[in-house]
Amino acid sequence: MIDVAWFLAAVLVFPGLLFSSLVGLLYLGVDRKVTGRLQNRIGPPVWQEFIDFGKLMGKEDITPAPAQSSLFTAAPLLALGASVAAVLLIPVGSAQPALSTTADLIILIYLLNLPAVFLMLGGYASGSPFGTSGAIRYIVQLMGYELVFILAIAAFAARTGTLQLAGIVEYQARHGWLLFDWRIIPAAAAMFMAVQGKILRVPFDIPEAESEIVHGPLTEYSGPKLAIWRLSYGIETVAVAGLVASVLFGGPTPYTVGGLVLPPVLDFIIKTFLIVMLTTLIRNIMARLRIDQSLKFYWTLPTLLAALSLVLGMVVP
Amino acid sequence: MTFIIPVGPQHPSLKEPEFFRFEVKGEEVVDVDIRLGYAHRGIEEALARRNYQHGVYLAERICGICNVVHSTTYCQTVEQLAGVDPPERAKYIRAIIMELERIHSHMLWLGVAAHQMGFDTLFMLAWRDREHVLDLRELISGGRIHSATNTVGGVRRDIKQEQIPKIIERLRIVEGRARAYVDLWKSDRTIMARCSNVGVLRKDDALKFSAVGPVARASGVNADVRRDDTYGAYGDLSFSIPVERAGDVWARGMVRLMEIIESVGIIRQALERMPSGPVRHPFDLKIPPNEAVERTEAPRGELLYYARSNGTEMPERVRIRTPTYGTFASLRPMFCGATIAEIPVVLWSIDPCFGCNDRVTLVNSDTGEVRVVTLGELGRRRK
Repeated sequence: MIDVAWFLAAVLVFPGLLFSSLVGLLYLGVDRKVTGRLQNRIGPPVWQEFIDFGKLMGKEDITPAPAQSSLFTAAPLLALGASVAAVLLIPVGSAQPALSTTADLIILIYLLNLPAVFLMLGGYASGSPFGTSGAIRYIVQLMGYELVFILAIAAFAARTGTLQLAGIVEYQARHGWLLFDWRIIPAAAAMFMAVQGKILRVPFDIPEAESEIVHGPLTEYSGPKLAIWRLSYGIETVAVAGLVASVLFGGPTPYTVGGLVLPPVLDFIIKTFLIVMLTTLIRNIMARLRIDQSLKFYWTLPTLLAALSLVLGMVVP
Repeated sequence: MTFIIPVGPQHPSLKEPEFFRFEVKGEEVVDVDIRLGYAHRGIEEALARRNYQHGVYLAERICGICNVVHSTTYCQTVEQLAGVDPPERAKYIRAIIMELERIHSHMLWLGVAAHQMGFDTLFMLAWRDREHVLDLRELISGGRIHSATNTVGGVRRDIKQEQIPKIIERLRIVEGRARAYVDLWKSDRTIMARCSNVGVLRKDDALKFSAVGPVARASGVNADVRRDDTYGAYGDLSFSIPVERAGDVWARGMVRLMEIIESVGIIRQALERMPSGPVRHPFDLKIPPNEAVERTEAPRGELLYYARSNGTEMPERVRIRTPTYGTFASLRPMFCGATIAEIPVVLWSIDPCFGCNDRVTLVNSDTGEVRVVTLGELGRRRK
């Protein structure tokens, strides 16, 4: 009984839906504010995403006739569920994630792919040429960054000898951050490039390129469904940044500042925030690539870097 | 299997209504069908129903961005009809405002092109720097965009001596920024990736389809009305014409950025050499029967006005050929073989101005065959 209550709390409150939504939407708001400042604009307030979410939730749900299907409706909810499940596998409040199995990393790779897959399905189900075109682009993009992402994670797993995130965090507590392990640095660089594509930031925001295909798979979504998509995107951002923080930056660790013990969750927030800010910076100093250029890019330099780390991590003791 | 991607009449990458029907195979564009006429306003007819003085007001409103070059060309045509030569100082003031217009038009182009490539930071910064030029236009003419400076027989406002240092100071800033953008345009890898070898218009195609302005110059056609058929004060000013050979989007951007720097030089010279004297000659609106043609180099290319007078205060006919109309035919070779991702940036690379373009067209093309919808047909359809 206690177990069930604890599990429900983990799913709904911490680190699940409530916590990750608050943090995720706040990150997106800060991202917009920082983007505005970088572009010499004032930018929206950092809580703008909460206002948008509330407004969209209160709006009429308009679904165009060709899009009326259960798939179109279910896609945002399933994506949200997958994002929340991914957060549960990430160490947030302590080195131990809310859920743990023997092969966390493999499940995480699957779960972090699901929002992308549902976005594609939603795009196909929308019956709009922009949605279809966006979905086609997303599939190509997925083939690009996912290879790099998986290779980089394989390099981390090979180096630490475990597929459990808790194990990787513990390894870093003993040996120092993986980011500063010279064998892992190429894979870390590749990981950052893959993350830029995974959370659809310029130069890899190709599936949603607004000046080319309106809003890609999200073109026909409006009202509450669009709000759920936005929420799901925020949570996915937290999950991806949290994964990077756990595998490269030592995960959530407690600090003592002047006799005051800071909880690990604060450390988690600082690290993920800095990772998100890095992606924000990159997205503001570049132009968007074309989809074929994106695929070519991912399959050359970052793949080589990740593979190099994988070999180095296994060969050099 | 091909499917149709509609771009327009309302689309985020178009700033004005026009319809492009792209036939795509996967990501590749195999054909394009252009339908014009969504912004038709009947301006040529309206010009023939107003007297010459009122026509200036209307000509200035044909295009929002290049309004001074429209009103200048109109005034030059009417002055030629009446055989009146405007004062020298007025010609210099016109040249200064027209060059300011070229700078702000090209900066606007740069911003929107950056937005089409997903480079929103460059978009915002280019438009921030464009504000300097708009401030200067306000200083000189009282209006940031619509200057209302021109009138038949001269200009309505003089440039005061104390304004000149302010203009020089702002021009220095603009030139510095333009040089920074030239460096960026040459060095940024993502801009290169999106613009090099994209939307290529070869020189023979540019000549065949009569491309004008920066589009032609980017394809290696060395043509500029300011030099080839000089008008106003341009004969006394020295400037070079930037020409690129590649014919792609990158070259079209480079030509425009270099033109900004050239325009700054032209304005500096004009401010220095400007003679003193009156800025406006009296003008009798009753013009005896005559015909006149004037060509000018608008920011987007050659602008042509033709007018015929009939002894009254109103022209009998005014015909306008805008640069965008001259460039539309070149779009097809640019688009075929490109990908969907390139549509916005290629389309924008000709700097289209549909407000200019759509005063006259009545062509309706459907499934490849072109037919003209006559007034009678329109009447029948209504029933």
